[in-house]
Amino acid sequence: MKRYLLQKTGGFVLTAILVSILTFFVIQILPGDPALLMLGTEATPEIYARVRVEMNLDKPVLQRYFGWFADFLKGQWGNSWRYSMPVRDLVARAFPLSILLAFLSVGAALLVATPAGMFMAARPKTYSARLISVLTQAGLGLPQFWVGLLLIQVFAVNMRLLPAGGNSSYASFLLPTLTLALPRAAILSRFMRVGMADALRQDYIRTARAKGVSSRAIFFKHALRNGSLAVVTVAGLQFAQLFAGTIVVEQVFGLPGVGQLLLTGVFQRDLPLVQAVVMVIVFLILLFDLAFDLCLGLLDPRIRYE
Amino acid sequence: MRRSSVSVIVVVFMIFALGGLAHGQVLNIAIPQDPDSFDPVKTVAAATSEVAFNIYEGLVKATPEGEVVGALARHWTVNDSNTIYTFYLRDGAVFHDGTQVTADDVVHALNRARDPEVAVRAGELSMIRDVRSIEKGVEIELYEPNGAFIYTLSEVYASIYPAHAADLARNPVGTGPYYLQEWLPNQELELRRFDQYWSGEKPYFEQANFLIIPDENSMVLNLKAGRVNLIPRLEMTVLHQVENDPNLEVLSAPMNLVQVFSINNAREPFNDWRVRKALALGVDRLAILYGAAWGHGTLLDSALSPSMANFYNDALHEVNPYDPQRARELLTEAGHENLKLTLTLPANYPLHVQAGELVAQQWKALGVQVDLQIVEWGTWLERVYTQRDYDVSVIGLAGRLDPHAILVRYTTNNSRNFFNFSNERYDELIALGLRTVGSDRRAVYLEAQKILAEELPGVFVMDPPQLAAMTKGIQGWRSYPTYVVDVASLYR
Repeated sequence: MKRYLLQKTGGFVLTAILVSILTFFVIQILPGDPALLMLGTEATPEIYARVRVEMNLDKPVLQRYFGWFADFLKGQWGNSWRYSMPVRDLVARAFPLSILLAFLSVGAALLVATPAGMFMAARPKTYSARLISVLTQAGLGLPQFWVGLLLIQVFAVNMRLLPAGGNSSYASFLLPTLTLALPRAAILSRFMRVGMADALRQDYIRTARAKGVSSRAIFFKHALRNGSLAVVTVAGLQFAQLFAGTIVVEQVFGLPGVGQLLLTGVFQRDLPLVQAVVMVIVFLILLFDLAFDLCLGLLDPRIRYE
Repeated sequence: MRRSSVSVIVVVFMIFALGGLAHGQVLNIAIPQDPDSFDPVKTVAAATSEVAFNIYEGLVKATPEGEVVGALARHWTVNDSNTIYTFYLRDGAVFHDGTQVTADDVVHALNRARDPEVAVRAGELSMIRDVRSIEKGVEIELYEPNGAFIYTLSEVYASIYPAHAADLARNPVGTGPYYLQEWLPNQELELRRFDQYWSGEKPYFEQANFLIIPDENSMVLNLKAGRVNLIPRLEMTVLHQVENDPNLEVLSAPMNLVQVFSINNAREPFNDWRVRKALALGVDRLAILYGAAWGHGTLLDSALSPSMANFYNDALHEVNPYDPQRARELLTEAGHENLKLTLTLPANYPLHVQAGELVAQQWKALGVQVDLQIVEWGTWLERVYTQRDYDVSVIGLAGRLDPHAILVRYTTNNSRNFFNFSNERYDELIALGLRTVGSDRRAVYLEAQKILAEELPGVFVMDPPQLAAMTKGIQGWRSYPTYVVDVASLYR
């Protein structure tokens, strides 16, 4: 276990450094000059030169990278070029929102998908199971921006029940959560169904049946634990993907999350901002990955940490 | 059991819904992106001036008619040689932090605005030789007479703030009718009415929130749902969703933006006037207005928009009529029957991309082979605007209050002249127009516009409409030739 943690941490640091180098230089390579992007068609050489000095762009690339790296370690993340405020403040505002949204969406998806998948596995031939299967197809196929706009049209414009956007109340999280949960529930329910169906075919289930264990106990006790392994893994991946921000849903609902911040940062080549956001995402994903590994071990005693 | 859980859900929904209702006199305005900085000498984004107009004031300010009137200056006088302006400050003007506006604050702000070490746009105030405080105001001395000077004082960079203010970028301190209460990036800017505003008239709305909504469709849905009361700049692509809604209203005005097919005048074969003329005669502007802008907007034959009423030359309609026959003849004359060109389009502006696609068809009908190249905005700025490495492109050039700021772009040595246009008489006129003060300027700029229409740095197409969409009942909307939203004029 100790060795496992040590190895993990080593990989952790290496990944973080690699990602920081990659982000930094990819932004350099992208066509489009951050100073020019800010100035647009009003740029004159004097203004342009002035802005470049303010952005530190007049220094050599390597010097800037190492300067950034040293400052980052010291906790000095600099000011965003686009927002003229400390990158730390921007990051500290955006991440809690995205993490909350990720929790809500994956939670809601699991809440729907688990029973639906179990039902499909238990009664595969019924009309209800087929109907659920068709619904999951739809959930997978519908584009998110369209679902989001449709939900706003129905619940905010027509029925006037929920806010059309923003994050001023808890209610404003309902529609974005729903939008994000829908395709995820569709995927999870399919994994649930396959996992359960697979588990029910195993030898130990037949043994249990032969011993006379009730089918209810077989289903909920013996099959469920093994059958849900895949679902937990996929839900974990979905969660990790979501707290890195959801550009489409954040745009449609006007939510100030990580996706929005990163998108603006990339479009404006706002290097300090992009760099910091990417680093925090990497850090969170690695941390989550570790926690997730440990959790899977609880669920499946066969997993050993070596 | 089931019934009671349903009613619980309904009650919960209703509480949430009530929580979302606005109370008091609050106006919610949707804009697509955040300002960059509220430090007047640092900001470069148009999104900032839109909001900052309500927070900051200069000695003078712009009017919807494109004039300037006194703001912090009650009035001003000019000496006989037009080189010394004396501004008399308004009594009782107060900054948002409660301190009195003094001549020293004005001197400090203007000196900072023209200091190339701090101010991004210092060059725009380079006509100033000296700013000094006098008993009742300030005196500004110019190197030589300058017709554009008084207009530059209405720009954001010439805003007045207290000399002791620190961190203006995020905590602006101005004298405007509203002050910034809170700025939550990517979410909203909350403006509150400033009750010590020097004008006796109090604005109607106590609070104005600028909500950041990047997606134009959800902007419209937010307007329909009542979360937003005003969209100052509605995208044309969503106009149809608003037009037929009986609860909404759309007001249209010229944007003071000149859409132009820019032609690289320095590059073969476009350095031949006949080729440029052929391209100009081959443009069916009306078809583009309908195809790209749904018939909204104003056709242009000049580098100025008609919203610049005092200077616009309205006698140029016959210079470049749609005449494909004559265009083909000109191409043959020039020996370019098989002309090939690359048309570079900026991907982030659907209006320009569509206009480009339409004109490509029109030019193909002349026998010109058009190669369309759609590039990302950053690439456009670098390649077309800075390196001037292109044949033909499409772009919208934002207008200003003063014609000089717009027209100087086409002079031979101007750094923003990505047309590579060069005309001796034109350069003379622009220099002359700047030195001229008063009503004589008009004649100078009329001739300058005529030269542009005839000599063709590019083909001027249209001034797209600025569409302001609002809930019925919002009154007092004023559109300006500059990029602003005037909250103080609005009421319900």
